Amino acid sequence: MTVFGVDAGSRSLREADHLIHDLVARLPGPVVAGTHLIRGERPHIAVSLESDVESLPVDPEVSVVSSGAQSGPDGLSAAAALAQHGVSGRAVVFPGSALTGAVRIGDLLAGSSIDRLHVVGGSDQPGADDFLDTRDHLRPEWQGGVLVLAVTPAGPGRFAPFEVPNPTPCCADH
Amino acid sequence: MGHQHDHQHHGHDHSHDHGHDHEHGGEGLSAAADLSVPDQELSPDALSRRSMFRRAGLLGAGLASASVLASAGTAAAGPERNRSRNGLLWLAGDHHIHTQYSSDGKYRVLDHVRHANAYGLDWMVITDHGSNEHAKIGVDKVNPDIVAARDKVKDTLVFQGLEWNIPAAEHGTVFVHPGRNELPLLKEFENTYDGAVKGATAGTAANEALAIAGVNFLADAVRRHRVQDALFLANHPARKGIDSPHEIRAWRDAAPNIAVGMEGAPGHQGAGIPAPHGPGSGRGGYDNSPSADSFPGYPLESYRTWGGFDWMTATVGGLWDSLLAEGKPWWITANSDSHNVYADNAVRGPGSDFTKNGKYNDPVYGGDLNLGDSDFWPGYYSRTHVGACDFSYAAVMDGIRGGRVWVDHGGLISGLDVRLRARNGRDEVPLGGMLHVRRGAEVDLVISIDLANGPNWAQFVPTLARVDVIAGDVTGKAADRDGFVAPTAKVVKSFEVNKSTGTVSFTYPLGRVAKPQYLRLRGTDGNRGAVGLHGPGVDPVGPAMDVLGSADPWKDLWFYSNPLWVLPS
Repeated sequence: MTVFGVDAGSRSLREADHLIHDLVARLPGPVVAGTHLIRGERPHIAVSLESDVESLPVDPEVSVVSSGAQSGPDGLSAAAALAQHGVSGRAVVFPGSALTGAVRIGDLLAGSSIDRLHVVGGSDQPGADDFLDTRDHLRPEWQGGVLVLAVTPAGPGRFAPFEVPNPTPCCADH
Repeated sequence: MGHQHDHQHHGHDHSHDHGHDHEHGGEGLSAAADLSVPDQELSPDALSRRSMFRRAGLLGAGLASASVLASAGTAAAGPERNRSRNGLLWLAGDHHIHTQYSSDGKYRVLDHVRHANAYGLDWMVITDHGSNEHAKIGVDKVNPDIVAARDKVKDTLVFQGLEWNIPAAEHGTVFVHPGRNELPLLKEFENTYDGAVKGATAGTAANEALAIAGVNFLADAVRRHRVQDALFLANHPARKGIDSPHEIRAWRDAAPNIAVGMEGAPGHQGAGIPAPHGPGSGRGGYDNSPSADSFPGYPLESYRTWGGFDWMTATVGGLWDSLLAEGKPWWITANSDSHNVYADNAVRGPGSDFTKNGKYNDPVYGGDLNLGDSDFWPGYYSRTHVGACDFSYAAVMDGIRGGRVWVDHGGLISGLDVRLRARNGRDEVPLGGMLHVRRGAEVDLVISIDLANGPNWAQFVPTLARVDVIAGDVTGKAADRDGFVAPTAKVVKSFEVNKSTGTVSFTYPLGRVAKPQYLRLRGTDGNRGAVGLHGPGVDPVGPAMDVLGSADPWKDLWFYSNPLWVLPS
């Protein structure tokens, strides 16, 4: 397996997710991929991707960094994403990321690489027989190599991922 | 007819023809007070006002004269409020409202002003988004609409403002005192300092500096008398995590007389009404996640509302308290952010070309209920109550700057008088005040609350269940400009309210004051609660995080007051 850091200058998480899904659609075999926030003078989002290929089919203006190679312009953010792969950042494609609908939490933990749930805004901890309404959108975070899904209470015995698929538009004009 | 009343108390310089027929609020106010007009000849609006005057014992007794009108306020219909309290007029308002001159808006200025007036607001600020279209076209075109609305609806003060895209940060209300230069000044400000117009929205140091320059520009404009007054308040500050603590402190410190506060509660309060009868989203439009522009220190909890309030305000011992602990003013407000009203029927005018015209055509009747819309009309749900010395633009701005401000949702209470009073029988201050006493002096926090004395706009009389006193030490300048924890702030006393009508009074004795402190109040209908984010020792029953897609705003009502300080020396 090769880990790549990829930087196409994505300005939003949604844009970065699109980049990942475009790449995944063109790659054979299993892929693990995530996003990484790059703060500083040019805030944007870079991507890391783990796949059984030697190189990525990307446009030449996209920075790609892997352990043995670098292509495209300034690879600093791509290198940062590469270094954080599986350590920190937000997982977009991972074993279990394709789960949809409402899932029993016991089944979620057994059938995905999500290690645990973290409840935001509530004191009740989810039990194995509680349900997660995935909204078809699972974006857990690597925290020191452990994959943690932030969830919020969503009614008795129910939880939902903290991140929503269609947040209220964030452009400056709204 | 009693139309000869003097308009000086309005404090703005429009000139209007007294010979024409007053319509809308203007007619409602003067005719309601004029006993030569029989009840049956009054419009429903005016009749409602007369009924209120009658109940308040104000009818007759020179009500139609300017002086009494001024001291009684210009009572509009709505969840009733006791306006006059200890020499202050409590004027309800909203500083965050969008019209057809916003790319995501729809209504005429007059649509909002008529509704705000009917729902009881005394003042309001029209704040269309800064944008290329607005900077070039809209800012000019909206002005005559505002001027016309001032003339048509005389008992609601209508400020022209802007929703500033603060460079590197969120949005903020900027508004000025009406006058000859209001339009040129707002236009220059927008064209020079708006983050969208200048392509300066990213969270960089250069953009942060542009924001400070904008605040300084406003301060300079007031100093040089280009405009009589100007204010800036940060809107929905925690929504996207991009108002970092150091940016807020920097705005405040650049011009403490201009940058005076933030929304304690955002608008869009209907956004959490469950689908299919509501948007089914995050209350307040708060449903975001961290981004590359967000402040990395903010926890996920900050991206949601708590009992309808922004995390910065709702967290006892949180960001707001950390600002107050510096001993510097920073006030909170609550507004509608009204763009598109929940369950209204109107749709954008057909054939609109916003890019070309800087506005949408006037709205038209659309037939269906807009159940996916998340906003309320100004005054319908969120109110910012300002203690003003008279009914004027200047007095509203002074009241906001002075922190004589409390806010409520859903008409939870009708009046609030809170004072810090020294037992020497002499010294006391109202909301926003700083009480200077000798070290060791005995001081009381004296609270008087008028419970809801009528139904709100959901047609029920809300019940206040509990009032919390929150206190914190003033510890001076923040060691960490990005800090957002106030370790000494906590709920020091809770009063159960075992009463549903009339006035309740509480006293919280501070004892002999040995150190500088601030105190603030919060009250709830008691429907939802949770242990605060800093634990039960700090806030045993604070607001609960609003559930995405299931937050009925009428079933979770809170009021918040601004702080008062006691400073022994």
